[in-house]
Amino acid sequence: MTRWFEDITIGEPFPLGSHTFTEEEIVRFAEQYDPQYFHLRNAGAEHSHFGGVIASGWHTVVVGHRKMVDALAAEEERLRGLGQEPGESGPGAGVNRMDFLSPVRPGDTVTYTLVVSAKRPSNSLPGWGILTNQLSAVNQRGEPVYYAELIGFSRLRDFKMPLRLRILGALTKIPGLGKLLARSR
Amino acid sequence: MNPITADRRHFEDLALGEVVALGKVTVTKEMIISFAREFDPFPFHLDEEAAKRSLLGGLASSGWQTAGLTLRLLTDAFLNKIASAGGLGFSDLKWKRPVMKNDTITGTGRIIELRRSRHHPQWGVLTIELDMRNQRNEPVMTMKLTNLIETRTQDVVVEEQPEHPYDVETGHRP
Repeated sequence: MTRWFEDITIGEPFPLGSHTFTEEEIVRFAEQYDPQYFHLRNAGAEHSHFGGVIASGWHTVVVGHRKMVDALAAEEERLRGLGQEPGESGPGAGVNRMDFLSPVRPGDTVTYTLVVSAKRPSNSLPGWGILTNQLSAVNQRGEPVYYAELIGFSRLRDFKMPLRLRILGALTKIPGLGKLLARSR
Repeated sequence: MNPITADRRHFEDLALGEVVALGKVTVTKEMIISFAREFDPFPFHLDEEAAKRSLLGGLASSGWQTAGLTLRLLTDAFLNKIASAGGLGFSDLKWKRPVMKNDTITGTGRIIELRRSRHHPQWGVLTIELDMRNQRNEPVMTMKLTNLIETRTQDVVVEEQPEHPYDVETGHRP
């Protein structure tokens, strides 16, 4: 989240907005990443138990990710507007689970919500914190589309590099020694 | 009978431990930026200078793009050759190392679980563990993907067993 690690509130729902899936974009995503017959046009989707074209679950997930990136950018703007320096989010580390709960059909509108359910400072990346992000997606009838638990990074505001790490960092810059130290870790 | 999947391998034709070799794909700068513009517009996926300053250390694909390309390789090598009835989700996805510009990724899938659905005799559930590597054979991503597959025979008694936590047809939790 584009807030400093220290400012992230556990359990606070963060609305990410909605997206309406058109058949055109469902098919375009599937042609590139998931060309199974129930995601394509004129490929026999009507013979599947879905009875027609549905979005790839992965498509609904990456759109949810896009909504999150946009919401974080908006939050960054909001903080700047208040005269505050926003925090920094890092790349995702992984996904504990992602359950696809009901299919998304052309014309469906999916609403996404993020809740940070846990946070702790990272041991392997000094200066960064690890977040457990719960993402949920529901359609226009209130039916769950997916539920996910993801691991993300957020930068710590109140972080001072320990002396031990600062010395190690300086030593790795000495030619020849850096590789040796990296290998011994 | 589903005419699309009739000639494909069904649940009964798969074996636990079966290994699927995936094809490979080279991730270009254009692919990285085009995916990032649409789905993951963080500066470190869009701009080489911003990427160098980030945790990634250079222009790298979105983890979701790595996952999407993996899904494509799995669809071509496996999911379009079996009577797939849709994905149920995935778990334990780990982005182990960034996929940098011009890296080539490939990998294997291994079937680690096969079971019949208790409430839906027309389906089985398969879990495939994916291990993706770059051209230096370094791991870039691992995950477990769970998929429904059509069965041929449906008069099989299924023992009591844990079920997926929702009804696949209605999307409702019990």
